[in-house]
Amino acid sequence: MDRNKIGKWLKSPGKMAQKYSLHALYFCTGCGIIEIPPTITARWDAERFGVIPVATPRQANLFLITGYVSLKTLKYIIRSYEQMPEPKFTVGFGSCPINGGMYWDSYNTIKHLDKYIPIDGWIAGCMPRPEAVFVAVTHLWTLIDKGKADGYKKYREDYELYRENQESVLGKLEWPPLFSKEKQHEASV
Amino acid sequence: MNHLRQILKDNLLSSFEDIKINIAEENRIIIECRKESIITVLSHLKSDGFNHLSLISCVDWINENTFELVYILTAYTEDPEKGGLNLLVKTKVVRDKPTLYTVINVFSNAEPFERELHELYGIHFSGHPRLTPLLLERSYEIPPFRKDFDTRQYVEDFFKQIPTIEEKKRTNERT
Repeated sequence: MDRNKIGKWLKSPGKMAQKYSLHALYFCTGCGIIEIPPTITARWDAERFGVIPVATPRQANLFLITGYVSLKTLKYIIRSYEQMPEPKFTVGFGSCPINGGMYWDSYNTIKHLDKYIPIDGWIAGCMPRPEAVFVAVTHLWTLIDKGKADGYKKYREDYELYRENQESVLGKLEWPPLFSKEKQHEASV
Repeated sequence: MNHLRQILKDNLLSSFEDIKINIAEENRIIIECRKESIITVLSHLKSDGFNHLSLISCVDWINENTFELVYILTAYTEDPEKGGLNLLVKTKVVRDKPTLYTVINVFSNAEPFERELHELYGIHFSGHPRLTPLLLERSYEIPPFRKDFDTRQYVEDFFKQIPTIEEKKRTNERT
């Protein structure tokens, strides 16, 4: 490895190990899933960046939301996101999670996904090429280095605000709230 | 081809009254009948060999205040004359609180099509075992596929009113 990396490895080995092994849970939302198999297989190899697909949300680190999100999908995105252990990062692909994209005047899709789940990065395009996916992964590495990829911390702090937004779209949710103020207070005390 | 279609036309015209037949193109025959006689027409055609219901679809003629239901039938045969034909059976229903009988007793695969039409257009099928939502997650005042459902207004009223998390925090800090 380069000599300038040895210092980083010695300072914080946990962070460096976390960066170079992002296990991806690719939730096959919508049209963008067609770009994931080329990214993972041998031609544009994603394993050289450390990104491999895993079987369950409990084993995953990185959540890729690859396309338009309808109301039914949003329920299960929230459930999968809450099952992932921390630290976790999410990346939104394409223009549909950003501002609605092609379905901007639809009665059944979400226009702005940042109101319901914290998102660390966006990739523009419809659909982005595999090279764009790798550029996004390297940007995520620099964010993790600086400590700015803190979507999961925001979710923990502002959980009531997120849950209000989720309930105003989906109606009453069947699962109990993930974080509650009394338990957080007990944990810190 | 002409021979078979002529036979079908004569057969139907002689068995039913109040029915109109229009041979549109090479492989498409349009049959229009009243809503009370759909089940007899469909069972007649099923015993004639057209035993596959492909689709039940609906057209919203808002100016004439009617819905028009279309049943598309095909035949599973190796016979080249009959095998390429599509029969479209059309009926008209009033647009205010429309009700129809189900065709499940004739074609048992009509169940999900009728559920979808109930959800998206608001047509009630009496005799259907379960008219529960199939595709959508919430209920709407006007069923969303009708022509007087304004999608842009709905997006303005519903999705854009939800504030982002930063805005919520700023309003919380001010109060």
